[in-house]
Amino acid sequence: MKNGLNEFVNRNRDEFDSRVPADRVWNRISFSMGFGFSWWNNVALWRAAAVLMMGLSLFLFLTRTGHEPGPALTQQDFGDVELFYKAQISEKVALIHDAGDLADDSFTQDLQKLEAMYTVLHDEMKRHPSEKVKDALVLNMIVRIDLLNQQIQKLEESAREKDIPATI
Amino acid sequence: MFNVGYRIVNNEAEAEDVLQEAFISAFRSLEHYRGDASFGAWLKRIVINKAINVIKQRRTEPLPEEDFDVADDGWDEKEFPFSVEQVRTAIEALPDGYRSVLSLYLLEGYDHAEIAGILGISESTSKSQFNRSKKKLRELLEGGPS
Repeated sequence: MKNGLNEFVNRNRDEFDSRVPADRVWNRISFSMGFGFSWWNNVALWRAAAVLMMGLSLFLFLTRTGHEPGPALTQQDFGDVELFYKAQISEKVALIHDAGDLADDSFTQDLQKLEAMYTVLHDEMKRHPSEKVKDALVLNMIVRIDLLNQQIQKLEESAREKDIPATI
Repeated sequence: MFNVGYRIVNNEAEAEDVLQEAFISAFRSLEHYRGDASFGAWLKRIVINKAINVIKQRRTEPLPEEDFDVADDGWDEKEFPFSVEQVRTAIEALPDGYRSVLSLYLLEGYDHAEIAGILGISESTSKSQFNRSKKKLRELLEGGPS
């Protein structure tokens, strides 16, 4: 047996990640991004964002190659995209409300945080418009749509289970 | 991610800079993320690349280049009497090149082919450096020659 060190590390892997960066690091990152708040260390939102990154890449690819060539969305394009996604969000929120079930606390809290972030980003966009704020706004809407889709799926599954008669 | 960067640069202030640069760089490069790896893996790779750049800029010690085999100098599982803190301290005492290879393999989970790509060395060099780093680590832990 010559893997004593490897096995020891594997067994105690988490203990090797004990260092935590100071809060000032996250503040500096937020400041550098031009945001006045710190949401980078929100694990749940990063998780949600990670799931949606692929969608964002596809979105960026389509918007940047399907229309006129250019490094980013024009203001008009962005306005159209925002209208489209807002309509999607409103439609899905209405669907969930119609189902009469908003009891999932983590879902409600995540959605509220994202809405709050969106408001801050939107203000930032008005004061200091930039590509990175625009991208963050688009990402925020895509993440919200994904959360809403997940909730709708849960509600649909729950409804299906209720419809299935008990069998044994 | 902070720990990933810290293990390579071995300095808190530099690790903070690495984390900051990596996050900003990732945000500005979102369109380059293709989804062929998890977002976390993509971000981790950015952190590692930034950290490697930091130790390359130190120029006090070149990253591994030699390419000859060194026998594995591992411990028997039952003969491993050290604590996590002792191992962590010994890893931090390793030279930059050894520490990078050892951390990438042992703690970050990359294989030698991936480490070769990250550090710009051959796969066999990565393997031999890993074995050398383990030998050095053993010396540090057992209070042998430094």
